Amino acid sequence: MELSEITVHRMNPQIDPGLHVWGWEIPVYLFLGGLVAGMMILGGHLLVRGHGRRPQSVCHRLPALAIALLSLGMLALFLDLEHKRFVWRLYTTFEITSPMSWGAWILLLVYPALVAAFLVARGTLRPDLARRIGQLNMALGALLGIYTGILLSALGARPLWNSALLGPLFLLSGLSSAAALVHLLARDREEQTLFMKADNAFLATELVLLVLFFLGLVSSTRVHLEAARLFFGGPLTALFWVFVVGLGLVVPLVIQPLAVRHRVAHTAVAPLLVIAGGLALRFVIVYAGQMSHWR
Amino acid sequence: MAILNETARLEPRSTATAAARREAAPYMNPYLAGVGLGLVLLAAFVVMGRGLGASGAFSSLVAWLVSAVAPAHAQANEFYADYLGSGVGHPLKDWLVFEVLGVLVGGFLSGLLAGRVQRGVEKGPRISTRGRLTLAFTGGALMGIGAKLARGCTSGQALSGGAVLSAGSWAFMLMVFAGGYATAWFLRRQWQ
Amino acid sequence: MSAPFFKFGAFGDEASLVVAFAIGIGFGFFLERAGFGSARKLTDQFYLKDLAVLKVMFTAIVTAMLGIFYLSWMGFMDLSLVYFGSTYLVPQIVGGLILGVGFVVGGYCPGTSVVALATGKLDALVFLAGVTVGIFGFGEAWPAIAGFVNSTDLGPLTLPQAFGLRYGLVVFLVVVAALGAFKGAEAVERRMARREGAV
Repeated sequence: MELSEITVHRMNPQIDPGLHVWGWEIPVYLFLGGLVAGMMILGGHLLVRGHGRRPQSVCHRLPALAIALLSLGMLALFLDLEHKRFVWRLYTTFEITSPMSWGAWILLLVYPALVAAFLVARGTLRPDLARRIGQLNMALGALLGIYTGILLSALGARPLWNSALLGPLFLLSGLSSAAALVHLLARDREEQTLFMKADNAFLATELVLLVLFFLGLVSSTRVHLEAARLFFGGPLTALFWVFVVGLGLVVPLVIQPLAVRHRVAHTAVAPLLVIAGGLALRFVIVYAGQMSHWR
Repeated sequence: MAILNETARLEPRSTATAAARREAAPYMNPYLAGVGLGLVLLAAFVVMGRGLGASGAFSSLVAWLVSAVAPAHAQANEFYADYLGSGVGHPLKDWLVFEVLGVLVGGFLSGLLAGRVQRGVEKGPRISTRGRLTLAFTGGALMGIGAKLARGCTSGQALSGGAVLSAGSWAFMLMVFAGGYATAWFLRRQWQ
Repeated sequence: MSAPFFKFGAFGDEASLVVAFAIGIGFGFFLERAGFGSARKLTDQFYLKDLAVLKVMFTAIVTAMLGIFYLSWMGFMDLSLVYFGSTYLVPQIVGGLILGVGFVVGGYCPGTSVVALATGKLDALVFLAGVTVGIFGFGEAWPAIAGFVNSTDLGPLTLPQAFGLRYGLVVFLVVVAALGAFKGAEAVERRMARREGAV
């Protein structure tokens, strides 16, 4: 209990470096990766629907922002690497069974796809090309989003992460955060409404996936049950239920449907809560996984 | 926290929604609101065995800030040390801190549903914004000192202690009204 | 006996924070519903124009008091397990006076200022900064004032004990006093409204 408090809150700088745990870098990287994945899917969707011809469309601004955010995420990942000088070696091989290797190669494809989206979103001459690039962005975005979850679930030593649902969960979380962000950025009224509605659907699905995730854990072996206890009375209970579920999912799910129907004023509060909730989810899941053990 | 006040900037001016244009709804009947508040307070007693509070959360915040800047100084001070040791581990993992977080959410939801979320400074017609903010800060500081002296504020002492018939809480409550009425005349220009 | 649930081990410290968040939502919701996110509404109490503060507070206290009385009488709740603060008479009287002054000067109390902040009031943010600084000042002055703050310690003293009356009788008297206060408050409001109209 005491030890886990130290890792969760990083209260003790004397002890912390000795614990060999993932700090803030990995959750931030997973969050930004998921966010960019969601932005690729949503931006790609706009390109497919031909929004490239609308000068007001948010799809013109998404790719550049996605490149910036992904680069920030990569920086965070790089800071976490033990052997920074050998990072290039990831690209000298391809391990079909290693999600790390998959991730490295997906990331290598994501950048050109985003650059292509950036270029084609400006040009209005080639609608069919825009559609193709939109589809490519959507596909790569889905791969990237799932990869951010698979990266954890492939680490079999951690019972909490040992779930096939982690990939879809992180994908949906990335989509909901991205929809909230794109909603905030959009100036076109139709796009604003579209992304708030989409966000509601993503959030609701995410909630269902979370329930299934826990059902899977508690119906599995004793160690999985122990892992789930971290969220049911264990040291992550308050952070998870208040910040991830309460503020990040339920409160926005109360506000946003009312805002869509113009029952309440539009504010930036709910989308910002969704984005913060997405970040909190990555922190909680990454820390919780490191606390769960096979015993 | 100020981020919560971000209001309808996203709305294109020409197509402001019904909700954005709508007049603020009238307040709830005070007796009805009182019953609601009383039931929440009762729930706190039944579920937790304790009442509500507010100022305690800010004591935890202050104790945490002081301990972050000067850990030895905070530990040596009995007042701070009390707040540093009480929670579940981290000083901010404290019952009242989480309750106040909920107050923020509940207040926002109610205000949003009633069309009462609006950024601005509330003041009487005869005082400048600067004057109002100066008085708000001064009043807040007095409130902080008074609440710590009395071991609770209007929520923790008057409301919670009042409901369990604590003698000190009732004495405190009468004094709050006495202090308020004694000062009201001197500050009438701020409000009326 | 099964309440207070937490004291009977229904859930642990971590889950209690989730409960705190949920209860806080209800608290903030009704404070805002009552209009307590508005400094002018709150301070109208002290200019006798709108006595909502008195009405809401007294109704809430009576509601909770009756609930506690009934539940403990029924044997559902163990009153001895409910947190009960000690009375420190003089510091509480002085603190109450300072708080009352601060209420009229600043326009809020700590709880209502949080609600005001949630609905966008910037003066509430400044007020809360003041609260934080005030508590910090109190904390720094602690070694000098600790003696006074801990003085006149009467222990966990209830009104029934203080006046030598039975618990049920005090509950009844508080209800009667509240009803009287409500009647008086309505009369005062009507008179003030008439005077406003005449001016």
